[in-house]
Amino acid sequence: MLVQKILTRNPKAELYYDLVELFTGIALVGFLWTHMVFVATILLGSDLFNTLSKSLDDYYLSYVGIPIIVLIFLMHILSAGRRLPTRYQEQKIIWRHAKMLKGTDTWVWVFQTITGAAIFALASIHMFVVLTGWPITATTSAGRIEAFWWFYLVLLLLGEYHAGFGIYRQFVKWGWFPRKPLGYVSKVITVIILTLGLAALWVFLQLGGA
Amino acid sequence: MSTRKFSIFRYNPNTPEVKPFMQEYTIEEPPGMTIFVALNKIREELDPTLMFDFVCRAAICGSCAMVINGKPRLACKTLTGDLKGTVTLMPLPVFKLIGDLSVDTGTWFRHLSVKTKSWIHSSKEFDPNAIEDRMDNETALEIYEAERCIECGCCIAGCVTANIREDFLGAAGINRVARFMVDPRDERSKKEYFEVIGSDEGAFGCMGLMACDDNCPMQLPLQMQLSFVRRKMVSFGLSAK
Repeated sequence: MLVQKILTRNPKAELYYDLVELFTGIALVGFLWTHMVFVATILLGSDLFNTLSKSLDDYYLSYVGIPIIVLIFLMHILSAGRRLPTRYQEQKIIWRHAKMLKGTDTWVWVFQTITGAAIFALASIHMFVVLTGWPITATTSAGRIEAFWWFYLVLLLLGEYHAGFGIYRQFVKWGWFPRKPLGYVSKVITVIILTLGLAALWVFLQLGGA
Repeated sequence: MSTRKFSIFRYNPNTPEVKPFMQEYTIEEPPGMTIFVALNKIREELDPTLMFDFVCRAAICGSCAMVINGKPRLACKTLTGDLKGTVTLMPLPVFKLIGDLSVDTGTWFRHLSVKTKSWIHSSKEFDPNAIEDRMDNETALEIYEAERCIECGCCIAGCVTANIREDFLGAAGINRVARFMVDPRDERSKKEYFEVIGSDEGAFGCMGLMACDDNCPMQLPLQMQLSFVRRKMVSFGLSAK
């Protein structure tokens, strides 16, 4: 053994990493789905949307929740991102392997890494834009979406894909349920949330910006 | 009689100046032909230099595993009639290539056995004259289920992590440890088990892509074995001082 490895050895490091990946992932899926249900209140009218936004503000939930979510977001990037193969040869091996094997779950994972990296960039932009245009109201949201609907469409698809399959793979890894029904349930939830999201986008587009 | 075309990976590490290439062979296809039979036919009738492994031709020895049309399979258990068009044969990745379709799984599995200390750790002195300790049927079946592994290497070849990380023990390794964890005769402590497999080389290296579970020729319940060990490792790791 090498001295630098002996001095820094922590046999539980991988365990903690794995748990952080699991819990931050579950928290982010929970957040995303709640977020999309909140956004979808626009389907029931601007008043409800504004009331909800304002009450989250009034009870300081936004001010507590957002920093926590940002922190969880970063922790998830570090823990799940540690798996990302970055070397040229590793990349080549994985693409070759995925094409050869044609395994559904293997391809799902390849896209999981791609969508993950893309969400890192796009969600950061989204957070920056929303936070600098605080507070959230139906009018400002509609304005953003009118101008950048394509950005939100892409982010919605990436986010739902990553969350839906992410939760599926964590459940598979921890073996709480068998794979087949699990895949089905996560797809159904994803389709529901996606439909809500698309409908909300459409309504915002119809509202138009200020 | 119909014919069947094969596209087979050729490379001999002893002659590295000849780059890897795919060679095509066409042979007659009698009904019920397995890849194992086809390869023997090719070697007898067309090309005596073709290298591949087999021993038992009955899905017991695990020697003839190879990548058949992209999937890790046993040559002796795969019927050509179940495949469409040209059959593409590649050697298993991850294991050391001996030549063409032949790989050395033995060294890899030997390392696995040493690394996971695959023997019953008992402080009891063995008395050859004593009656064996009884084991309840349920436990015996659980052990037997894990022991059905024939060490063909299909789970390792299909695994993305094993393909990019040479030290990853894969489903075969984790399944092996699961076998000892359910064995009441093994006296290893939580800490000892955690040392063996509670790392990225073992339980936490798995990313859950389940190519092992999808491609095991013995249909071992690998998803459940992997997750069982993962959960155990969390509880062992968190409780061990």
